[in-house]
Amino acid sequence: MVTGGRGDPELLDRLVGDSLGWLDGARASFRLPPNVTTDADPNLTLKPLGELAELTQLIAAAHPRADIRERAAGLFDFAWRETGEGELFAELVRGEPHATYPVEIYGAFAQAGRRHAGVEELVRATTRLRSWRVARDDHTRTLGVLNAERRIGLAPHTDFDAELAQTGLGRLPEPWALDRKAAYGVTHDVFHLTEWGRARRRLSPEHAGYLRLWLPAWLENWLAEQLWDLVGELLAVTACLPAAPYDPVAWQRLADAQAADGSVAEIGDPTRPDDPAEAFTACYHSTLVTAFAGTLARVASDEAAAGVWDGAGAMLTGCIPCESETAP
Amino acid sequence: MIADAASGVALALRGEGDPYALSRFLRQGDALASAAIRVLGADALAPYALDHRAGPGGEDETVVREALAAFPPKPDASDVSVWSYRGLVEASHAFLPGGANQWPPTPQAGSAWVATDPWPKLAHRVSQLAALALPGLASSLADELTARTDDLARGFVRAVRRRDWLQAAGLGRWLARLPEVPPTLGLDSGLGFVRQMCGGDARVTLHVVAAQRFYGRGW
Repeated sequence: MVTGGRGDPELLDRLVGDSLGWLDGARASFRLPPNVTTDADPNLTLKPLGELAELTQLIAAAHPRADIRERAAGLFDFAWRETGEGELFAELVRGEPHATYPVEIYGAFAQAGRRHAGVEELVRATTRLRSWRVARDDHTRTLGVLNAERRIGLAPHTDFDAELAQTGLGRLPEPWALDRKAAYGVTHDVFHLTEWGRARRRLSPEHAGYLRLWLPAWLENWLAEQLWDLVGELLAVTACLPAAPYDPVAWQRLADAQAADGSVAEIGDPTRPDDPAEAFTACYHSTLVTAFAGTLARVASDEAAAGVWDGAGAMLTGCIPCESETAP
Repeated sequence: MIADAASGVALALRGEGDPYALSRFLRQGDALASAAIRVLGADALAPYALDHRAGPGGEDETVVREALAAFPPKPDASDVSVWSYRGLVEASHAFLPGGANQWPPTPQAGSAWVATDPWPKLAHRVSQLAALALPGLASSLADELTARTDDLARGFVRAVRRRDWLQAAGLGRWLARLPEVPPTLGLDSGLGFVRQMCGGDARVTLHVVAAQRFYGRGW
């Protein structure tokens, strides 16, 4: 049964702490190889490091516990150093001036004040082209690009709200028609819209109502499939709702899926591949998502305890530390 | 046999084929016929809810009487079994004339679970009681379920995603009866989708047709 009140801070903190512990121990696997800007597979190099930066920064800024914030901040600093304090992005942009991913990943650092003057000069040149404004196939990804532009301080290449209206969140599709790919789309629509939970009030009442109704059904489906990264993302989205509900059963199941070493596999039971590289690939994403979702749920739980929301889901008191009212 | 009877009911609800007579599909004196009626529950008499009641003393009455006598709820019967039996009794009272003999009394069926079941369990139970989603039947249950409309809608979502068409159709049929189904569910398209995806399953089709005929939802 879903409760509308406090979560279970003890369980949430253990989940987040153990996840960060595993991630900390996996620094060697996050390290970028010398060929990162040439022939390395970005899905195995830049993508994991970009996610590490994106999510540990949020945890370092938002988690109520100092020890957890400190550990997350250490990982975020590590990620920034791995990019040569931004120098990497200059190389990536020069190599692929029309690709969005260097801008998207750099944005995660820029919003936290880690900036590189040379990169910013470069992207101002590449993102002012008409070609940058050609519509992309994936509207959710476009929201990510728009979010990066905002973080870096570039002019938005298209209208955020108009783009959102085209997505799996914006269209309010039939909830029973959501397949796996669409589910990842909806979670990322919410993450880009709310700045990964930092600006949850950007979620309109209509979208929040839609998510509040249907998230429990989606969670149930993907819990049954043991698709833990999606379970974590759906729990993170749940925690972005006003007066966020807390589903103790779903959280317990996610906790049960966490191995003794703190890792959470993308799918299935907590057994791990023997090969360390395979184990890293199988776990890094879900483990990061678990730490991220646990942090947002902990913030929501603290708000419930502090009586921040009234019964109708309206905020009664001021902002929580990570809430930002900057316009998208 | 169940599929044939379900198809016959669905056909009658669509206003197609010969005038409905349950006894055309399920004959008296046949133990399997009684078992089939037990599965169909009140739906065995659903076409009579439309306009034309069965004539007094007809074979339909005998067949239903036999089924009610063959499967009275045992003391330890589940609430779902009792409700299902009760549905057939209520339908008999409402749609069959009864003749000289009285129908069995309507048994008391527990409904505490409506308020307390977690939604996945609630959805499963309610889908098993799809035949009770008929005009005038199980009114108290319908009133109580109204408070759980959102949860039943979540059950519909889960069932469609699991391709459990029978559960989805049963829930969709109940939702068609309830007054405040969330518009974003897309119930009408959902019922149409389930009907197309079920590959012609007779019981699924029956639920979708009933939702359409009695409550004007779906296609």
